[in-house]
Amino acid sequence: MWHRDFDPRGWDAVIIPGGFSYGDWLRAGAIAARTEAVERIADCIDRGIPVLGICNGFQILVEAGLLPGALLPNESGRFVCRWVKLVARDPRGPWLKLVEDGQVLTMPVAHAEGRYVAADPRGIEGAPRIHYLDGWNPNGSEMNIAGVGSRNGEVLGLMPHPERAVDRVLCPRGFEPSGRIIFESLASSLREGW
Amino acid sequence: MPLSREDIEEIRRILGREPTREELAMFEAQWSEHCSYRSSRRLLKLLPEEGSRTRVLVGRGRDAPAIELFPGVAIVFKIESHNHPSAVDPYNGAATGIGGIVRDVLTLGAKPIALLDMLYLGDPRNPHANWIARGVVKGISDYGNRIGVPTVAGDTWFDPAFNKQPLVNVACVGIVDTKTLASVLRGPREGDLVLIAGNPTGRDGLLGSSFASKPLEDSDSDIAAVQVGDPLMEKLLIDAVTEIARRGLAKLIKDLGGGGLTTAISEVAADHNLGVELHLDALHTRQELTPLEILVSESQERMLLVVDESSLPEVEKILRRYEVPYSIIGRFDGSGRIRAFFKGRLVADVPARELAKPRTLYREARPPIEALKGIAPPPPVREPEDLAKAALKVLSSPNIASKRWIYEQYDHEVGIRTVLKPGYGDAAVLRLLDGSGRGLAVKGDANPRYTSLNPFSGAANSVAECFRNLVATGAQPLAIVDEINAGNPEKPHHYWFFDQMVKGVAWMASELDLPVVGGKVSFYNEDASGRQVKPTATIVGVGRIDNVERALPACFSQPRNLIAIVGVTYPELGGSEYLYAVHGIEAGEVPRPRPASELRAASLVLDLASRGAIASAHDIGSGGLATAILEACVCSGLGASVDLDMVPSRGIERLDQLLFSETQARYIIEVPREALPTLERLARERGARVAVIGEVRDSGEVELRSGGKRIASIGLEEAREAYESSLPRALEW
Repeated sequence: MWHRDFDPRGWDAVIIPGGFSYGDWLRAGAIAARTEAVERIADCIDRGIPVLGICNGFQILVEAGLLPGALLPNESGRFVCRWVKLVARDPRGPWLKLVEDGQVLTMPVAHAEGRYVAADPRGIEGAPRIHYLDGWNPNGSEMNIAGVGSRNGEVLGLMPHPERAVDRVLCPRGFEPSGRIIFESLASSLREGW
Repeated sequence: MPLSREDIEEIRRILGREPTREELAMFEAQWSEHCSYRSSRRLLKLLPEEGSRTRVLVGRGRDAPAIELFPGVAIVFKIESHNHPSAVDPYNGAATGIGGIVRDVLTLGAKPIALLDMLYLGDPRNPHANWIARGVVKGISDYGNRIGVPTVAGDTWFDPAFNKQPLVNVACVGIVDTKTLASVLRGPREGDLVLIAGNPTGRDGLLGSSFASKPLEDSDSDIAAVQVGDPLMEKLLIDAVTEIARRGLAKLIKDLGGGGLTTAISEVAADHNLGVELHLDALHTRQELTPLEILVSESQERMLLVVDESSLPEVEKILRRYEVPYSIIGRFDGSGRIRAFFKGRLVADVPARELAKPRTLYREARPPIEALKGIAPPPPVREPEDLAKAALKVLSSPNIASKRWIYEQYDHEVGIRTVLKPGYGDAAVLRLLDGSGRGLAVKGDANPRYTSLNPFSGAANSVAECFRNLVATGAQPLAIVDEINAGNPEKPHHYWFFDQMVKGVAWMASELDLPVVGGKVSFYNEDASGRQVKPTATIVGVGRIDNVERALPACFSQPRNLIAIVGVTYPELGGSEYLYAVHGIEAGEVPRPRPASELRAASLVLDLASRGAIASAHDIGSGGLATAILEACVCSGLGASVDLDMVPSRGIERLDQLLFSETQARYIIEVPREALPTLERLARERGARVAVIGEVRDSGEVELRSGGKRIASIGLEEAREAYESSLPRALEW
């Protein structure tokens, strides 16, 4: 869907995919966050429509103030593309409905600006979170944060790419296609609520 | 390369008058080596254009070639060098190299699905070379990642010869259905429009291809010839142009690359026996430009589309939707001449054919004295007492060690096609997204040391290495493209290397039945003192995979599986990584190319793979058998025990020869025990030499045995450390 054609009516859920909106000029997600499409997404959130931001989508949500915190350049100063192990904490809401607390997930990351910083750690306390497992933090994120949701879990931002971890054939040795559960959660949520 | 006195005479003769300034600039751009292959054309004819296994859909001579991967599905792929710009401005030089090669693939309406980077860099401990290396990788990373095309494979080499002048070879692979392909091959007719889409033209990269056609000078003036990339515009161009092509709205698409507007327009007109009337002032520009600047600017992210009047409204709608600026600057006619107007004034009027195809230059080739280094046996060296230590030394050499520091900076997964990712296989394997499970393998290879010691055999070995890397994933190799990086063609001692490399590629490609469907030549790779860098033949190959789930990794997979070696090992240490890393010697006869053995070994590996009788396969290349086994262990975390006495060999006198020889046409394969009878039967049928030499173990070590006893043991942790940490340590300080 081309961003200018986005009409929020009639959608059950919205996913802002990864990529490099506006070439990441200025800061990742900074320009996209100020577009009309994102204003319309903010309206969706007010109406309780599930919104997921993946990678650049997460950066846009944070830039737009729709999720707390900020995503800064990786500690290494370099882009990083690798598979990581994650653990879910306090999962809830449409995107994490089928995920259990403490469940380990594996997915790849691919970003240059993914170091999460929470202005106030209390802001994400109790909110659904995805952490990198110890030793798997690829970017120096505070508290190993890889993803964070709104308190009710209707809005979720993820630096890792669940859509790249859906088919087993794409998983390297030792990793599972656990991105699948995010989309299965949504399917179940839209059918039966969350 | 400025025009020679003879060239100017020739131009006068063609025009029958004095050329205008604009015309001279056009000739200089188009007649540069970079654009017109004047010094190379004669030899490039030797490269085979056909192969019995391959349907070539578009051969050489276009911006990119196309081959059939499966019925109805074409692969477009091409290689390009950005050596000169990367020497002056590594970041932008490498980035715009990616941009250019992607647009070449776009010209056939193909969606770019993979990038490869073959980097021949200086000693990472040299500050200047280190700056170049980091800049080049960052340039590729920033550009490739931002346009959403995964960088999936490549080749990296470090050598002080490249301290000042690196070789930055990049390749792009695209995919297109044959119907779309046919629509962009229709070509222009009289009355069709010339539409330029993309970035506004600016003053950057003026005569850049001419700059790349002469040696580097240590001066600031070169910087103006380097272009600056805009990946966001490239991404929009990819989306817009693939849509225009898919809807059959363009009759021809061309990149405005080296030589800018002049090259693009003169080649199209000459190829189709047409002329064109251009109105340069109609072009969208970034600033006020003179007609001369418009004609030869190499501003990036611009493409030429040939559109007929009736398709124009739809094309304009698509371009506007993607916010891609464009202008219509002219119209084809039957005159055979390129007539360029600027504000109503005729500034250039030249015959297209003569402009596009300058006369071939005959260059003299003479072997230099230094070539003697490659025809003698290597000087004798002492066998190391500690073979484990020697093996680790080779494994940690930056040429062998893990390239993770580089490939993790590239998004190698975007597009969800990458089945075998960097670090897991000998080549990258990508799947089609049609749900059929079919796919392709791609890999790029070169060995600058081999080609500098023996350009003929070295180049032949590069073709063979690429072939093996594809085969090791279970892919049937289909075609290659080549990039020959050489010195100054005006110097017979440099040109000899070029001559020999082309012949080596041509010979091995013919023997392996691999068409060379496209390629590029880069001359003048010499530093300011006139010393050529190591002449290098880079090969990129594409193979077909019928079932990506069967794609073979290069990592061992299961304890208790057998390890077998395919091929016979000869004492061939000349030019080896072992001699270089352990003994500091770069000399000797390089391993002999063995096409017949390659074909036998490949047919065995492919047959076994198709029956599911192998679990992994790894080509034995740089660093020899010891390195191949250590790599297969490190990437899986599994150990191995290998009995060296079981390795089929001839003329081997010492264990270091056996462990580190770089004899061609060899693989190690991992075979489940129950598949052993199949292996033995097929080996007999194919006449390929195979021997079981050990087994995979969950032991945490690689054990080497000979004469019934353990002669060396390498701990897996130690090996991993050597393999993984060497490159980051060399590059980051």
